[in-house]
Amino acid sequence: PCRAQPKKKKKFDVKKEQAQKERMKKKLKKLEKAAPELIPIEDFITPLKYSESNRVRSLPTLSPEESERRVLLLKKWCLFKQKQDEAEKKAIKALVESQQEALKELRLESEELFQAAIRRDEGLFPFERDGPRYTPPLPGYDPPEGKCTDITKVYTQ
Amino acid sequence: SAAARRPWKLYGAMCLLRLPRITQPLEKEEEEVAALMEQIELEKSHYSDHEIRKLEEEERLKRKRESLYDEDDAHGKAVIMAQDLEEKWEQKFLQFKAAPRITDADKSNDRTSLNRKLDSNLMLLVKQKIGNQELWLLPQVEWQPGETLRSTAERAMATFLGDHIQAKVLGNAPYGIYKYKFPKAIRIENNVGAKVFFFKAFLQSSDLSQAELKADYLWVTKKELGDYLKLEYLKKVNRFLLD
Repeated sequence: PCRAQPKKKKKFDVKKEQAQKERMKKKLKKLEKAAPELIPIEDFITPLKYSESNRVRSLPTLSPEESERRVLLLKKWCLFKQKQDEAEKKAIKALVESQQEALKELRLESEELFQAAIRRDEGLFPFERDGPRYTPPLPGYDPPEGKCTDITKVYTQ
Repeated sequence: SAAARRPWKLYGAMCLLRLPRITQPLEKEEEEVAALMEQIELEKSHYSDHEIRKLEEEERLKRKRESLYDEDDAHGKAVIMAQDLEEKWEQKFLQFKAAPRITDADKSNDRTSLNRKLDSNLMLLVKQKIGNQELWLLPQVEWQPGETLRSTAERAMATFLGDHIQAKVLGNAPYGIYKYKFPKAIRIENNVGAKVFFFKAFLQSSDLSQAELKADYLWVTKKELGDYLKLEYLKKVNRFLLD
């Protein structure tokens, strides 16, 4: 009796373990076959606390004069932007024409200089430029110290 | 035979631009529309946490004055009001003084300084001797066989500003050309006139203290070019300059 029982336990255990392993493998395969879950874009989901009713602003309604003024101002803006765009296009056209003329004259002069001129400039792009600010940099300015902790959530698929 | 076919002398000139450091002032329409957009955004928005806190505290203050029972004293802790925080932030902001947009060089109209007219492009003009006249021109130098026109222009820049100039030349191709014939007195068969090819470059470093300036120079905006350049030359230069 002492010898027989441990042997049975082992057989059962081995069989059970094997069966369990196969079940786990099958589950893993099923999970892998299923399409990966999409990472939620946090910017597009408004948190629920912002849809509460006490958040709505209470402002006086627009008078008809005010809405009239707004519509007219937007029409003026439309015209302004159109003129601005036309002026830009004209300037760019003049620039391109001037360049074409210069290249034409250069070609009349010497072919090799012309070929050197129309070769691509490798060092030009990527072109980086520090954009203009509202006020010029203050010489000798010491910005206040601070620490920045990044709390963006990272999702893994 | 090569010289006979090419009676024109070639020059390479560099138009060095200092890009604007501050934004241009808004036009009247732009300001009006910006104000309108802010108003519309305010109307469409909801209250933020800070504003809700402010409203609640105002209500609590009102209730405290009307009722005789002081709730805050019962709790026994100091409450920082949102209004106090706002005042503190306002004070801190007023303590900061930004650099002025109109510099001293603007006020004194010192045209040799780079700190002038921070919201527009500045171009370099040098006084050069052409023939027997001293003229204000974009720095130019005669082309020598064996180099490309772009290197001629870079050499022109180096001649007038020294070697330590950091400038980004915009491409290998010239941007404009000025052709002129020599006066009949010095015109020979082989030398009818000259062609000046213009190249453009952006000044990268704003510090020119190391530059060894060998001639009279000026930094001018596009509008002020008319004060210095001759008419025909100015017409050709204006074509490739964007305001």
